Amino acid sequence: MQKNALSILLADDDEDDRLFFKDAFEEIKIQTKVDFVHDGMQLMDHLMNPDNKLPDILFLDLNMPKKTGKECLIEIKKTEHLKNIIIAIYSTSSSEEDIEDTFIQGANIYIKKPSDFNTLKKIINEVVTVNWHYHTSGLNRDNFLLRLK
Amino acid sequence: MKWIPKFNSSNSLRVIFVIAVFILLFLSSIAYKHNRDLNESSKLLMHTYEINLQLERLMSAVKDAETGQRGYIITRNARFLTPYIYSREKVNTSFITLKKLTADNPVQQKNLQKLFKLIIQRFVSFENCLKYSDPKTYDKRRLDNHMFGGRILMENIRFKVDEMNDLERSYLNKRLKIYDAEISLSPLFSISLFLVALSFILLAYRQISRDIKRLKMYNKKLLISSGLIAESEAIGKFSTWQWDLESNKIDYSDNQYRLLGYEPNAFVPEKETFLNFVHPDDKETVAKAMEGIISKKELPFVYYKILLQNREVRYFKSTGKLLTDQQGSKILLGINFDITDEHLLNIELQERNKELEKSNKELASFNHVASHDLQEPLRKIQTFISRVPEADKAVMSQSARDYISKIEVSAKRMRVLIDDLLLFSRTNTTKKEFIKSNLNELLENAEAELTEIIDEKKAVITTSKLPKLSVIPYQIEQLFINLIGNSLKYSQPDVFPQITIESHKVLSADYPDVLEQNIRKFHKITFTDNGMGFDPQFKETIFVLFQRLHSKTDYPGTGIGLAICKKIVENHKGHILADSTPGTGSTFTVFLPD
Repeated sequence: MQKNALSILLADDDEDDRLFFKDAFEEIKIQTKVDFVHDGMQLMDHLMNPDNKLPDILFLDLNMPKKTGKECLIEIKKTEHLKNIIIAIYSTSSSEEDIEDTFIQGANIYIKKPSDFNTLKKIINEVVTVNWHYHTSGLNRDNFLLRLK
Repeated sequence: MKWIPKFNSSNSLRVIFVIAVFILLFLSSIAYKHNRDLNESSKLLMHTYEINLQLERLMSAVKDAETGQRGYIITRNARFLTPYIYSREKVNTSFITLKKLTADNPVQQKNLQKLFKLIIQRFVSFENCLKYSDPKTYDKRRLDNHMFGGRILMENIRFKVDEMNDLERSYLNKRLKIYDAEISLSPLFSISLFLVALSFILLAYRQISRDIKRLKMYNKKLLISSGLIAESEAIGKFSTWQWDLESNKIDYSDNQYRLLGYEPNAFVPEKETFLNFVHPDDKETVAKAMEGIISKKELPFVYYKILLQNREVRYFKSTGKLLTDQQGSKILLGINFDITDEHLLNIELQERNKELEKSNKELASFNHVASHDLQEPLRKIQTFISRVPEADKAVMSQSARDYISKIEVSAKRMRVLIDDLLLFSRTNTTKKEFIKSNLNELLENAEAELTEIIDEKKAVITTSKLPKLSVIPYQIEQLFINLIGNSLKYSQPDVFPQITIESHKVLSADYPDVLEQNIRKFHKITFTDNGMGFDPQFKETIFVLFQRLHSKTDYPGTGIGLAICKKIVENHKGHILADSTPGTGSTFTVFLPD
């Protein structure tokens, strides 16, 4: 594994979604290392384990067993060495409430799971290639929800 | 209690009576005195006349003696001497009487003494005259002397009698004068006093009759108001009770007996009576409240159950107050309300509320199911189909390719349905935050959302100035999107869509059938298009969920869009109307409160 490969972590309990995700990353041909966790508990264990390298971008599903995405988000933002991880909410839900809540809790972007594989690839490409340093400084409510034209 | 009349007149009445009684007592004492004086005067008069009479008798006796003596001297007939002999006796009798009559008067006694002496002398003179006239002892000179002396004595007697009479008369006059003086002063005085007493009594009479009139009036009022209270107690299902703490007497209103399941006055209430009716569950609470009322002087509402004789349970609400009446005695006043009907209604309402809450929760969980669990497999169907490579499709049979594309269309339609349904349910369940917003800005946002289709159809949207209103911004935006989107969707083929949006202020009173009359002013916003329109008979049904006027193949849609519009407008306490002329265009009218 190369040193400069982007480290991606997806927390999602759905096996199919993890498969789509993995395939999409393989097809976009960007140097990435993608890891998966299956629920909130596993995610927190993974992040708290000092043996694991922290991900550059965390894709976080909201509806997960044991510990929900929102709970994880709050915990991460409370933890000093985790709070700078870029968090992309990756959920089926498009409810205003979920978007509002996660924005307030400090998530960087909100992605509604697409129903088309090509759209998924485009989204992942967009998220991975964005200059996050620049993006976070101009973070606002309007560009929080990722919309692809 | 300001309606209680003040009868202050009773005190002044008492004073008037006392004065009148004193005046009358005074008057009667004066009358008594006058009567006594009069009596005395008449006695005095009688006295005077009696003395006068006796003196005249005395005088006449002496004269009789003189006449008899003359007759005898002239005729020498002894028969003439009879009056002379009797006259001495008469004189003595009169003297005794006169002596008695003048016993209290020393002056008259002295006069009487002198008179007596004169009369004695006169009789001596008679004897001498008889003696010297007797032929045997006749002496002319001495007879003449004695005759003359008798003449002079007679005159002296007359004089003395007159003097005595005069004296008596003067006494009488003097007394009468005093009496007259007294009598002449008093009539005016007594009459005026009498008049004063009379006027006092009249005054008192007037006051009494006035008081009686007022009492009658208040009595009538009291009767009416107590009748009304009894009636209102019966109608309003409440009752009152009074407990005089001093006399320890408890009074129930008629309705109190009825509320407790008895006829009025069926028993004599005592301190513990009421507690016996209270349901065993609440006895302690009510007893405590009853004690508290004496110390706190007021009873906050207590709610409890009553157990009637027939085992029926009634719900009561009571309150009370400690009052001090005009006489200073303390009275506990209580009111009981029979709230059984309200209570049962309340319980029913609570149950319905619970049911509603439950169904709301179910709706919310359905929402969740729709947003996650239903979308999830659908999304995967779509994603998996999208993953079938074109190269694979090319080697498939024609029918297999058709099936795949039909699966794709159906999945897409299902997605639209789910999204619209979610949108519809969210218009109702999400929190409604009203923010003062410029409707023109919201309209611009809506147009931006629809840019693609507007450009595609080369539509022209003309907008007048819209008001600033307190609204739920994203909902109004959605409303505009749906209405404009609807017009664009049902445009006439080969005609560029034209949509005109106008706003006017109107009064709710002008639209009594559709607008809430509690809100006075509304903004009437009309969306007029030149689209294909619809049969006006459907102008109500097009707002009903899932109602479609066109086939799915001609115009894809879920039949939810206008239902959402209706819901949004209702959330704003407004109203939406639709009208159309087929082939010419439709007008959608939205009323939003000012």
